[in-house]
Order: sequence, then structure tokens, then C-alpha cells
Amino acid sequence: MKSITIAALGAFGIFVVLILLLPQQTKRQLQGALFQFISPVLRTGASVQQELGGVRGGLKRLDELERENQKLNLENEQLRATNSLLRNLEGEVNRLNRALGFREQSAFKLLPARILSRESATWWNFCTIDRGTKDGVATDMAVVTEDGVVGKVTTVAKDLAVVLLVSDESLRVSVSIEWTQEQGIVSGTRASSTYVPDLKIRFLSKTANLKPGMQVLTAGKGGVFPSGLVVGTIKDFSARQLEGIASVTPAVDLAAVQDVFVIVGER
Amino acid sequence: MILFFFSLLVLIFGSFVFQLFLPPVLLLHGAVILFVPALYFYGCLSLPFPLMLALTFFTGFLNDLFAVPQARSNPDFPTGISILFYLVPGLIMHGFRPLFLRHRWETHCLLAEIGAVLTPFILLAQYAMLSFERSDFFFSDVIVWRIVGPGLISLLIAPCVFFILTPLSHVLGFRPGLPLAR
Repeated sequence: MKSITIAALGAFGIFVVLILLLPQQTKRQLQGALFQFISPVLRTGASVQQELGGVRGGLKRLDELERENQKLNLENEQLRATNSLLRNLEGEVNRLNRALGFREQSAFKLLPARILSRESATWWNFCTIDRGTKDGVATDMAVVTEDGVVGKVTTVAKDLAVVLLVSDESLRVSVSIEWTQEQGIVSGTRASSTYVPDLKIRFLSKTANLKPGMQVLTAGKGGVFPSGLVVGTIKDFSARQLEGIASVTPAVDLAAVQDVFVIVGER
Repeated sequence: MILFFFSLLVLIFGSFVFQLFLPPVLLLHGAVILFVPALYFYGCLSLPFPLMLALTFFTGFLNDLFAVPQARSNPDFPTGISILFYLVPGLIMHGFRPLFLRHRWETHCLLAEIGAVLTPFILLAQYAMLSFERSDFFFSDVIVWRIVGPGLISLLIAPCVFFILTPLSHVLGFRPGLPLAR
């Protein structure tokens, strides 16, 4: 064997061992730096995809445009009239809301963010969003929409973050089922036959009386997700030898969601 | 040769970025489209052994940085392990190098298809690693499609990649096994 081949093999082995022994923190920083480096491409790609979607949508409705325009004009007139009435009421409602402390009830500070890309890795489900450390995003922050839980932040760069989706098998969230005392751990499935995967709740009691359609809410344990966020709805329930397992339809359409909120703290 | 090697690194990096925008193929149960293995296998066939090792290191490490979310602690898939998953099929392909250096288009085509057949090995190794760490090994038709599907797609992609890379290497003055272009 040539000496250069032996040297190359030795160097290769040393580098592989070094990479495998790198602390997890360093690997996360490396991933953050990598995504930061390609963030201009991701942003451009996301806006191009959005524009292409808009053009496609526009072309689809072209033949119906005239009819739709007439309908919208009529609707517009009606809404203008309603709006002027509601504007007067708005000030009063706001004042009453403040008085009743409704604003204080929404205990979280939400940072709006846009999804830049959805990774189509074979075994993992995650996406990148256009907010990073400069916006106050940190690791293990919850990402939600008005419909429910999306995932949690795993890696953060300066103006971009990686979000592990709730459909990933490695993200486990403690949940409770509405109107019951049942609690369990929800996680994604490793591979699902549909684009929007089912979630699974494990460690439920075997005698749990769960019906399809019941809401699954975060239990607030673990320090990432506050309690009361919607994760999804029960699809079916089966009792195994030691535990009950329920499959859950996610509340958020993870394949289509574009705008999300990062919970950056409490008010 | 070095120029071609660096061009290959750039192409592999670009392909990783490009793959981020490609949706999974629903017809194949969510199998993904992979360009990187075809580029990597071409490098394994054309480059000498030390550079092939460097290419393996770059591709495997980048694969994990792009595709594996980094959890805070106890990761169930150690970042960098894909270097070893790429190494095994890479070494098999490197063994075909004498055949590749004959520079016949039909052998290049055959080698591209062999590379495509080896592509699922990388995904199978990743799946085996994940299953081992999560202590839950099972196979379903979806998982089989997720492993085999990218290989089937590569059967179409790999020959095209090979036929693009060969003239590119010539343009960059790299003609392995042939006298240098004047």
C-alpha cells in the first residue's frame, strides 16, 4: 500500500473520530452557521415559491374573474356600511377589553415568523423560519400558530432558526386530553404514508374513554410548551397490554402552514 | 484534478441546498429526490483514493448538518456518522475505477446505475442507526418505499449527472486515465 494512501486513511480516521466526539453544542453552532450562510438562498427560494404559487392561483381563477369581481363589488358596498358602524363600536370594545383584563390573559409574547423551507429529509421533519437570535429567538422555544402547536426551536442562527416539527418522532410533548384526567406523551411517527402524518399518544391508561374528535392539549410539563395549546384531535384509541395508545390528527396542517409564531416569553 | 475536486465540492453543497426545495414524491410514499449520491459516486469513480476520502468526509458531514435536527442533548443520531454510511458504498464504487477509466459511455451508464442501486444503502444504514438508538425496529411498506424510492429516482438521475460531469471534468482539464489535453 502506498504511503500516501496510509496517511490519507489515518487522517480520515482521526477526522471522523474528532467529528463524532465534538460536543453537541458545537455541532448545533456549526448547523446554525451553515443555515446562516445559506439564508439568502433560502429567503430568495421562499419568495420565489410564494410568487409562483400566486401566479398559479391567479391563472386558475382567471375564467371566473368577472363573475367574482361583480360579487365582490356588491359585498364591498355592504361591508363598507357595516364597517362604519363597527368602527364606532371598536373603541368601546377595546376599552371594555382592557377593563376586563383580556389582554393580560394572553400571557405570551408572540413573535411572528415565516417558514423559509421545509426539509424533506427521509427520517426527520423540520423546517427553517426567518427569525433568529437578533429577534430574541433561542433554542427550545415553542413555535405555534393560532390553530395549535407546530414544534420547537432546535438550532438558532443570527436571523434564521431550525424548528423541529411536532410530527417528528424525536419531539415528545406531554399532553392531556380535554374533559378527562388522561395524560400521555405525544410524538410523531418515523414514516407516515401521507404528507400530513399522524401523531401518537403513548402512556395513556388502558381504560381511558377517548372518543374521536376530543382535543389534545399540551400539559405544560417539560418547560418548552405552555399548557393549554392545542396539539390535535383524537383519531382513534386502542388498548395494549400495558398502555393505551391513541392516534392524533395534528391541529396544524404542517405541509401548508406558512406563518407561525415563536413564543419568546411571557408578557 | 484539484480544480475538479473543488468544483465537485461546490456542486455537492449546491445540491444539498437545492434538495431543501424539493418536495417528497407522494407517489412513492414520500421518498425524497437525491442528487448528492450521484455526484458523490462520480467523485468516487474519478478521483484518486485520498481525494475520495476527503470527498466522503465532506459529503457525509454536510449530509448530517443539512438533514439532522440537532437536539440539545442525547441525540439519537450522532452527527458525522453518515460519513461512515457514505464510505461503504463509496469504497465499492471506487473499486470500479479501472472500469470507469476506460471512458466508454456504456460503462459510465452502467456505473451510474450501480451507484443508483447503492443509494438506498445510505438510507437503510441511517434507518438502522435510528431504530437501534430508539430501540424500535420495524418495517412497513412506507419505510421500504422511503429507502428504495430514492434509489429508483436515482436510476433516472444518475446517468444524467454522469453525462454532465464528464464534459465538465474535461473542461476543467481533468481526464483521469487519459493523456492531458493540450
